[in-house]
Amino acid sequence: MSVDVTGVDRETLVRPIQSRSKYFLVALVAALAGIGVWLYFYTQQLQHGLIVTHLADWGSGGGVPWGLYIGAFIWWVGIAHGGIILSAAVRLLGMDTYQPVARMAELLTIAALTCAGIYILIHVGRPDRLVTSVLPAWPWRVHWSPLVWDVTVITAYFVLTATYLLLTIRYDIHRLRDRLPDRLEPLYKALMIGYSETEDKVVERMVWWLAFAIIIMAPLLLHGGVIPWLFALLPSMAGWAGGVQGPSFLSIALTSAVSGIIIIAAAFRYAYGWEELIPKPVFYGLSKWLGFFGLLFLWLQLQQVITGIFAAPTTLQHATEVKIATPIYWVAIGLVIAAEAYIFAAALKSSLFTIPRIVAVSVLVLVGTLVEKTLFVVEGLQHAHFQLYDGVPGVYVPSAVELSSVLGTVGIVVLFFLVVSKVIPVVELHAIEDDHEEVRD
Amino acid sequence: MQDEDTPISFDDDETERMERLLDDTEYDTELGVEMAKDAQRVAAGELGEAEFYREYHEDVLAEFGEDDREISGLLDGVEGDDVSEKLSSLAGRDDLSRREVMKKGGAAFAALSMFATAGQESAAAAGDGDADEGTRYGMTINLNNCDGCLACVVACNQEHGTSDGANWMYVFTYEDEDQDDENFLVRPCQHCTDSPCTKVCPVGARHTREDDGLVLTDYDICIGCRYCEVSCPYGVNYFQWGEPDVPDSEIDDDHQYDERGKWVGSRPPKGVMGKCTFCVDRQDGQMGEERIGTTACEDACAMDAIHFGDMNDPESAPNQHLREYRDSQGNDMTFKNRKEHTVSTFKLMEERGTDPNVHYIGNEPSPHARQVDGPVTYEDMDIVENRKEEVLDNGAMANDQGGEEA
Repeated sequence: MSVDVTGVDRETLVRPIQSRSKYFLVALVAALAGIGVWLYFYTQQLQHGLIVTHLADWGSGGGVPWGLYIGAFIWWVGIAHGGIILSAAVRLLGMDTYQPVARMAELLTIAALTCAGIYILIHVGRPDRLVTSVLPAWPWRVHWSPLVWDVTVITAYFVLTATYLLLTIRYDIHRLRDRLPDRLEPLYKALMIGYSETEDKVVERMVWWLAFAIIIMAPLLLHGGVIPWLFALLPSMAGWAGGVQGPSFLSIALTSAVSGIIIIAAAFRYAYGWEELIPKPVFYGLSKWLGFFGLLFLWLQLQQVITGIFAAPTTLQHATEVKIATPIYWVAIGLVIAAEAYIFAAALKSSLFTIPRIVAVSVLVLVGTLVEKTLFVVEGLQHAHFQLYDGVPGVYVPSAVELSSVLGTVGIVVLFFLVVSKVIPVVELHAIEDDHEEVRD
Repeated sequence: MQDEDTPISFDDDETERMERLLDDTEYDTELGVEMAKDAQRVAAGELGEAEFYREYHEDVLAEFGEDDREISGLLDGVEGDDVSEKLSSLAGRDDLSRREVMKKGGAAFAALSMFATAGQESAAAAGDGDADEGTRYGMTINLNNCDGCLACVVACNQEHGTSDGANWMYVFTYEDEDQDDENFLVRPCQHCTDSPCTKVCPVGARHTREDDGLVLTDYDICIGCRYCEVSCPYGVNYFQWGEPDVPDSEIDDDHQYDERGKWVGSRPPKGVMGKCTFCVDRQDGQMGEERIGTTACEDACAMDAIHFGDMNDPESAPNQHLREYRDSQGNDMTFKNRKEHTVSTFKLMEERGTDPNVHYIGNEPSPHARQVDGPVTYEDMDIVENRKEEVLDNGAMANDQGGEEA
């Protein structure tokens, strides 16, 4: 299925930058309010310590030291990685259909990585020491701690993505400069330092290689690598250890990311009347990818459940039994199954497909993946190899402090898109140009 | 494991095959065959690497004009400056030039120098090459002697000023399928030789003290990520979720700073990780000479269940105690979970590969063991057992709201 949006004019592209509406303000206030609620609770945490959360010690302490914070961290990193994989695939594999949403995917990556970073910050007991302890220790700890591999690769990744975005933005700003607001002139000047049209060809090659690096790094090193390794390498926790976590995390990342992109693209399409720029077939195509990745996710869950209950070692069997006896696990899986059902039905009978429906499905999938990842962290810890601890009383239910962080980070992503869309075009100029050349002015 | 009773032998066919291969080269066949055989003996542990190196050094030099054989394995645990000395001694002579040494040491030398500058713990963290030398503190805990009085738990909490519920020492009472009545498991930190927690710590706060193998947390460096807690199979870590119950002013510096000047003793401050330190202040002599080689839990135990000391010293209390039991029960080495009059020795979850320094005498809990109330409950002793329900959940937001539910 091919989508041709090359006929769309530049006015449409810069519409978010030029338009003003009270809905924008409402969205802005809502985002800020979400962030505000979280900041209030986070201040409490900074003041009193992590004691204000419902986290506790595993072992005789009757709780889990990692909970929603880490679940949400995995979730955001997953969204980030999946987003950039999609964008890189557009460039490398020539999937031009999705070019209108490629930059949104890149922006989503930046925003989601920021949220993941925030989770690292709020999860530690002494955030001040992220600077005083981590930096000096880095050179001699990087070959030991999976947590340092993780931070290292994510940082490298952030740099790659930001470079990728910056390089491609210059092309657009140069050509759309007359349509961009003058009051942001200093910012554009900074972004355009040393620009000349001769760099375009070079940049195109550089960006290709960056995309190449990303598409190799992301599945192998990131959500198929260091993030699952944080857990898969620990034999102490029966529900965590094992090679299936890499593929499983990657499938979650791609599923969540496609959902995220669908939601954001639909929001822009709705807000700015971008029916032409992001036509329905883009969403239809994305929904099929969502269906495919969601199927992988379910299939990998099936693998884990079957190997965990059919003649598994005692401790793994126990962990799996607990997992499948948890109602909310089935809520999460049920949400993804329901999404699959809709996507398949819509694939067979396209009249069933509407954008509001696929957005609703995407939200459900995102809820499902967040729940699954949080359960993975929490239940993995609660049912460790040392089974004497299974009898220790105490359940984990995320506190208001922890829950507010989800609200806050979602608010940050919304705020990010609201602000960025006022500064740069969130759809690449390339998307409306034929053959990546300037066809008209 | 290598079967030590049957040394490696080479039959004639094999020797002939080697000779045939080497005859095709321009180098000494006999030297090649002998070295090949001895190299396999090195691999099998029958011959030391150093001997192997010395034995052939001159022949190799004569035949090839240089000896670039891999020797990095010999350098484990050798500090930067000692490298050349060690290499010279390996060659069995002192006339090995520095240049030659550098050439041989090569990458190993560079790597070692890097570690040497990285900080004191790094060498220990990087390989624990000297686990069998020097002091390595550990315990033998005789579970048959334990009567579950929890005196060790109380003593530990008091001596280290841990907050409610942070029971660095913990005693389980449990029932198990194949065991009669109630059994006890006394669980301090296992101070593993191959400790997962030191491996995963992103900042090197959790480390093994080189001199005596204590696994400690540098409270000045810990960021509070709790990865050590998550990686530990034994659940011995207790995070300091809020302000400690015992303020800093009530703890003497001598008990907090060890002989290296690192803040590793007593309870942790807010936001960092704590766990059993094997009473590091006692081992450093801060509580007097006579308390070196003792722990608070050991002193408190009236049943003589806990024996603390140097596991590398055959005459230390834990080794003696272990030996006495093993000697009196000649057949206890392979069979676990004995009943009544027999006894087993074990390390907790040894199959995890952590090489714990705590040895147990008594019944090992099976995966089906269930915790039950002991003869003396934690409540009786005024200890908080379930920190989550009793301290954290009720104390949490109540901090500044008056704490209506105590």
